[in-house]
Amino acid sequence: MREKATTLYIGPQHPGITGNMMVKVKVEGDTIVEARTEVGYLHRAFEKLQERRNWLQSFTLLCRFCVPEPDPVEESYARAVEMLEGRQVPERAKYIRVLMLELARMGSYLLWYGGQNGSLGLYTMGQWSVGDRNYILDLFEELTGGRVYHMYIWPGGVRRDLPEGFADKVLRTMDYFEKRLKDYDDLMFENTIFQKRTQGVGVIPKEKAVEWGVVGPVLRGCGIRSDIRIDDPYEVYDKLDFEVPTAEGGDIWARALVRRQEIRQSIRIIRQVIEKMPAGDYYNRIPNPHKWALPKGDAYARTEATRGEVGMYIVSDGSTRPRRTHFRGAAYVHAVSLLEKILVGENVADISAIMNSLGTCPPEIER
Amino acid sequence: MSMMKELKENIIKRIKASFPDAVEKNDFNYNRLDFIIDKNKVPSMLLYLKEEMGFIHLSHASCVDWLEEGEFELVFIVWSPVDKIKVFVHTRVDRDNPVMENMDMIWPQLNTYEREFRELYGVQFTGLVAPDEFILEDWQGPPPYRRDFDTAAYAEKTFWHRPGREDAQDVRETIASRDGEEIPDFAKKYSR
Amino acid sequence: MSFFDLNGTLKPLTALKQFGKKPHTISYPKESKEAADRYRGLHYNNLEECIGCGNCSTICQNAAIDMIHIEGIEGKKGDSGLRPRVDNGRCCWCALCVEVCPTGSLSLTKDYIFVSENPDDFLWIPGVDNPGGKENISFYSTKEISLNDFQRVPMPELEGKERVKSFAEVVLGYNEEQARAEASRCISCGICTEVCPDHMHIPEYINAIASGNDADAVRIIYDNNPLPEMCGKVCTRRCEEVCAIATRGEAVAIRWLKRYATETAATADITREIVNPEIREPNGKTVGIIGAGPSGLTAAYYLALRGYDVTIYEANAKAGGATMYGIPKYRFPIESLDKQIDYIQSIGVKIHFNTKVGKDISFKEIYDKYDAVFMGVGFPDAWPLGVEGDDAEGSMQAFRFLYMINSGEKVDIGDKVVVVGGGNVAIDAARVSRRLGAEVTILYRRRVEDMPADWEEIEGAEDEGVNIVPQGIPVKIHKDENGRVKAVEYLKAEMVPDDKGGRPRPKPIEGSNTIIEATAVMAAIGQMGDYSFLPEEFTEKIKIERGRFVVNEKQQTGDPKVFAGGDAVNRTADAISAIADGFRACKAIDEMLSKK
Repeated sequence: MREKATTLYIGPQHPGITGNMMVKVKVEGDTIVEARTEVGYLHRAFEKLQERRNWLQSFTLLCRFCVPEPDPVEESYARAVEMLEGRQVPERAKYIRVLMLELARMGSYLLWYGGQNGSLGLYTMGQWSVGDRNYILDLFEELTGGRVYHMYIWPGGVRRDLPEGFADKVLRTMDYFEKRLKDYDDLMFENTIFQKRTQGVGVIPKEKAVEWGVVGPVLRGCGIRSDIRIDDPYEVYDKLDFEVPTAEGGDIWARALVRRQEIRQSIRIIRQVIEKMPAGDYYNRIPNPHKWALPKGDAYARTEATRGEVGMYIVSDGSTRPRRTHFRGAAYVHAVSLLEKILVGENVADISAIMNSLGTCPPEIER
Repeated sequence: MSMMKELKENIIKRIKASFPDAVEKNDFNYNRLDFIIDKNKVPSMLLYLKEEMGFIHLSHASCVDWLEEGEFELVFIVWSPVDKIKVFVHTRVDRDNPVMENMDMIWPQLNTYEREFRELYGVQFTGLVAPDEFILEDWQGPPPYRRDFDTAAYAEKTFWHRPGREDAQDVRETIASRDGEEIPDFAKKYSR
Repeated sequence: MSFFDLNGTLKPLTALKQFGKKPHTISYPKESKEAADRYRGLHYNNLEECIGCGNCSTICQNAAIDMIHIEGIEGKKGDSGLRPRVDNGRCCWCALCVEVCPTGSLSLTKDYIFVSENPDDFLWIPGVDNPGGKENISFYSTKEISLNDFQRVPMPELEGKERVKSFAEVVLGYNEEQARAEASRCISCGICTEVCPDHMHIPEYINAIASGNDADAVRIIYDNNPLPEMCGKVCTRRCEEVCAIATRGEAVAIRWLKRYATETAATADITREIVNPEIREPNGKTVGIIGAGPSGLTAAYYLALRGYDVTIYEANAKAGGATMYGIPKYRFPIESLDKQIDYIQSIGVKIHFNTKVGKDISFKEIYDKYDAVFMGVGFPDAWPLGVEGDDAEGSMQAFRFLYMINSGEKVDIGDKVVVVGGGNVAIDAARVSRRLGAEVTILYRRRVEDMPADWEEIEGAEDEGVNIVPQGIPVKIHKDENGRVKAVEYLKAEMVPDDKGGRPRPKPIEGSNTIIEATAVMAAIGQMGDYSFLPEEFTEKIKIERGRFVVNEKQQTGDPKVFAGGDAVNRTADAISAIADGFRACKAIDEMLSKK
């Protein structure tokens, strides 16, 4: 007797979903035969709103494109505006930006720990990592004035200089994390349940990965060494010494390994940045924001965020307001066309784990 | 730097050999090269870039509304991991009847991009198979990302203001009325 | 791997070692964490420092800030009287409002908790709703951080030692790039327009220049000022004193931008083409104007645009009044004035030169002939020094000296000149004398900081080598055997505080007589009017008090047909006030005559 396919709606309110979206799956028994991503719960039309604001006002909307790490979005916008205008950013500002990006990367990975493990039932990790993330949020609060949404990296540099004693605080926090990572490893990576649940699940074939638009740690988890920080370097990444880890397999386990190694590299980068930070200006001031017009043209700036390639495409028609800003989030590809492909043949129980490993973040999809 | 220059010139030569009416734009001082081509040639150009020239990664695709010129501009940004250079392919479609060929057999993620352009701008992609709704739900109005769709006017019409802010004053008007200044109408567009 | 993986099963159990540890994110008993030093919390506004410019409300991208009237705060010079109110339901705490506040009064505090059952409490007025917020300020902007540009684009000028060699214009003017950069500093608040006597539409024309539309700027300027190039070169610029940017920096160069815009209309014809004013059909009414000074010319220009038949009677050979005969050419070239007068005449204003009312034509004739009369007669006479020997040859009045120089006459001043006085006339006479090759000393009875002259002029004089002697009161002029000035004797003075709280007064020190050699002495201690042209029968209605005509707020004298304006009426005695008087008189005359 042929089994009939049932339609299941996973989301939009579901503890396994990483945000507000829905995955509509057709299952036969426990196996998925078709998957469809439905988004639309988070459309705030920021890009249309930016057309009514001038170039400086637009930057305050950007951090809301992605909650776990708003800084790469701000940074790609600032860099796109600087590319279009030809504005030079002082060295110190570039170092501070890298510091912010790497701290944001760490913060986002800590949140990912919570999400990935929560999807497999290991809730302890989430409690630990979100608690530890607070130390990073404390650092952000001291530097920028806000814990989650910073609104700190803007075209021309950064908004304020490092406060007194900040460098020491950062280094102490890094020391703390290095000790903590061992605890995470023991609980998570050495854990046989975690290994069994993640190995061989959610596999992306290596030869199709680039064609399917896979980026970031997901691509590195397929064994392809691709990272915008070394391929198309920006800010001061070409002056810093770090590795880009890869892992073979293309499954959730490989991606988790890659992310784990990247946290260690982030700590390494942050230590170098603190050591090499030059003195100088932190801001190349823009003229009166009400009258600041950019020359005609377009620019595209890409940043390596925790989820992958994040890009901002801006078009100017010579006036004080953008003609078009178009944000490309990594989840735009991962969570829609990619997810629909790789979910076919997987178990329902693994949907959440796969989504977390791809790093889906619905605000990026529909902005 | 000269390596980049040579690389760009090679790319231009090869593209122009296969697509003679592509117009190149080569005045960027970083790793970027632009081509402007007629919309009918875009699918074959993207396929050529992907298969023959190593631009295997589609970074982004975007749509810009040039209301004054009566056209939509579609931009495709591709990246070559080996040569480490980005190529932007620009094309224009007529705004009143925007039709373009479906290209999601080249890169599957274009399916999502095309769905979005269809919904938000109204660009029709012949051969596109995708559900109608993507971001908006039960939307009956014109494609909202078009520049002639005024979101502020829509908000005024559809929603109501929460009372409590009616006593807001305009600084310029307050000062002008206090000292008896009459601002001529043709100058008002320069007031704040 | 086999199903039973010992390592992978036991390792995770090491997590149990955390069991006895103190939790690091919660503390018992509960402690509220203090926010960081730079935390972006609720707003605070220093109500005294705030000038109500509204820049915060324009930059707020959520439209969360309104400017409202607050009880107890009135608008005054340099303050719009409005204060910001933040809608905390919309605010996103981006702090852009703090970055663009020109005075730095708006800031964010460490407070982040606000609870209320009444949702309207969340429309909150910083500073009023949290006066205690002052203790808790955390996110603020200093002069260096602020997004306002506090530095003016410097104005190129001829160098001090060079410029005394000729009467070439000292200030060179902005070029296009500098003008656009300077114009983009303006935040368009409009506080400047209130103190301008003529209420020119300043933010509008500055924004026109910033967006590249110089023609629109010229049109906006000519809406209520027919002599803008003159103002653009020599105005007293009260506007710049209250400019919002001037609260912590250098004011926007409003005067120089006006000059830039008007100079883009290079000739009277081009001005006519750009301004292209609407000239109404002649309405058959006539107006007679006495004096082609700034007040008379302004009244004439705007009345002519409204269709009146206007005739001006000017006693001198050229129009312009004090602006023609009192301002030296290195500040205001005569070609510039000619261009503006030509344009005014081109729209139909008739001027009779060399026609002195009271001598060549009687006041009564004008009174009877025209439907309305405007008097812009100015202060043509000067106070004499009043010391022994001031009748010597070479002892003259500074204003008369400037008149003669500007008329092209030669004046013999010798090589050592002493100018008595501290106002703009004294400085002008001193700098002109330098250009004629003399060594110049200015003798002023009070201190340099009390001098009423424009500080730019005082600095210019010092750069050109003029010697300023403060606290000196002349007592005698010594003559040589030919009756020519030989020396000036003066007493030194000490400053004593004034009982009535005014400026400190100079008190001559007995026996401190000092003598300076001089070949010419110029008195620049004040001017007065000459009302001899007014016949007896009119003086009953047209009253003169303390040397000035008495007028109501419509510039009307006691005789409803006769209006007056300019130096002969107002106490501020500068060109823009005269222009303002003329404009007001024009509107009043128009109102009066259209009712008939």
